[in-house]
Amino acid sequence: MTTTNKNDPIELAPIKPAVWLQRQERSNMLMLGIMSWISLRLGRTVARSVLHLIATYFVLFSLDSRRASLSYLPRALGRPATWVDLYRHFFCFAATIHDRIYLINRRYDLFDIEIQGEENIRSLIDEGKGVFLMGAHLGSFEVMRAIGRKVPGLRVAMVMHKDNAQKINSMLGAINPEATMDVIPLGRIDSMLQVQQRLDDGMLVGMLSDRTLGDEPMTEIDLLGASAALPTGPFRMAALLRRPVVFMVGLYMGNNRYQVHFETLADFSNIPAGGRNKAVEIAILRYAELLNRYTRLAPYNWFNFFDYWQSVPGSLNEKLNKKLIKK
Amino acid sequence: MTIMIENNKALQLEVAELMVQALNLDTSANEIDPDAPLYGDGLGLDSIDILEVALVISKRYGLQLKADSENNHEIFSSLHNLTSYVAANKAS
Repeated sequence: MTTTNKNDPIELAPIKPAVWLQRQERSNMLMLGIMSWISLRLGRTVARSVLHLIATYFVLFSLDSRRASLSYLPRALGRPATWVDLYRHFFCFAATIHDRIYLINRRYDLFDIEIQGEENIRSLIDEGKGVFLMGAHLGSFEVMRAIGRKVPGLRVAMVMHKDNAQKINSMLGAINPEATMDVIPLGRIDSMLQVQQRLDDGMLVGMLSDRTLGDEPMTEIDLLGASAALPTGPFRMAALLRRPVVFMVGLYMGNNRYQVHFETLADFSNIPAGGRNKAVEIAILRYAELLNRYTRLAPYNWFNFFDYWQSVPGSLNEKLNKKLIKK
Repeated sequence: MTIMIENNKALQLEVAELMVQALNLDTSANEIDPDAPLYGDGLGLDSIDILEVALVISKRYGLQLKADSENNHEIFSSLHNLTSYVAANKAS
């Protein structure tokens, strides 16, 4: 048996790093660093011309990203993808990352942000009992934070992998020292107790529920006509804490336009004893349904640049290696 | 705070039983090694499992497990420590 020093922070035991952990976030940060420098010194018009160079570079030289994009685009578009589609996909990604720089600096005047379905969250915020907000790597994460000024009371704490939490906060601090984000890092023994605390304080707890950290139960779903897998954890967490869940997405619609959607996803407030697993299953199917709808509505906004239909189901079997297998 | 109160075997079994039921574990309560880490390598629980345990323990014994407690790592480090915490803090 292993002995643990009680002063050591207890980490999640060896996580098998998911593919996206190793690659995607690193290129995100590099790109953001370069663009931040250009944008703040030369302005949005000049900076956006640089975005075309970046998109071209990725289309031509980032083989892995291109392969992932080619696996995704035909499913969302319902037809074979062309070079133009590839280019639009990469440009959309670059543009949303670029706009973060302005959003973090509160240059909301530069953007036209339309909000749809606010009624699906308004009353839940007003009740002040805590709400889960579930998003995906679909569209702009920053624009969701930016609409806080349009939707009063929208105080969000984000749950995320602790490495990303550190990177994002150092990035935010570098661009605008006042733009901090309330983050609940995963991988700590009491991560979930922190989530509970924020909800009890009436806050909204947000997370992007379309990626796994590697070693956790997955649920198979249908995404764009083929089998894929979603992590079960976020939904199980919401069910345990008996809170309503609202789906949220901030789609980039071209030029300076963004479209934010709120959709009712689930309400675990009053699930009967013994009905939890069924309720979780229904919630995951609903989430998948929303992913299907919004990837088709805004196909170039999908920012999972790895083979979503191959790499994720592979981890379905990992749970079997655990010492205790849950029934 | 140190948690060094004489352990209560009956309570330990009761806490173990609560965990087994709440998490649907494929093991019986008296098979859980009281000194094995609950989180990660030992019992293989994740932080959502820990939350579930915290919720049933709070409800059963009328005590609060807080997110900002410095002692969470120690409390949840093993069945033994969790039991000691419950024994020391439960509503009588």
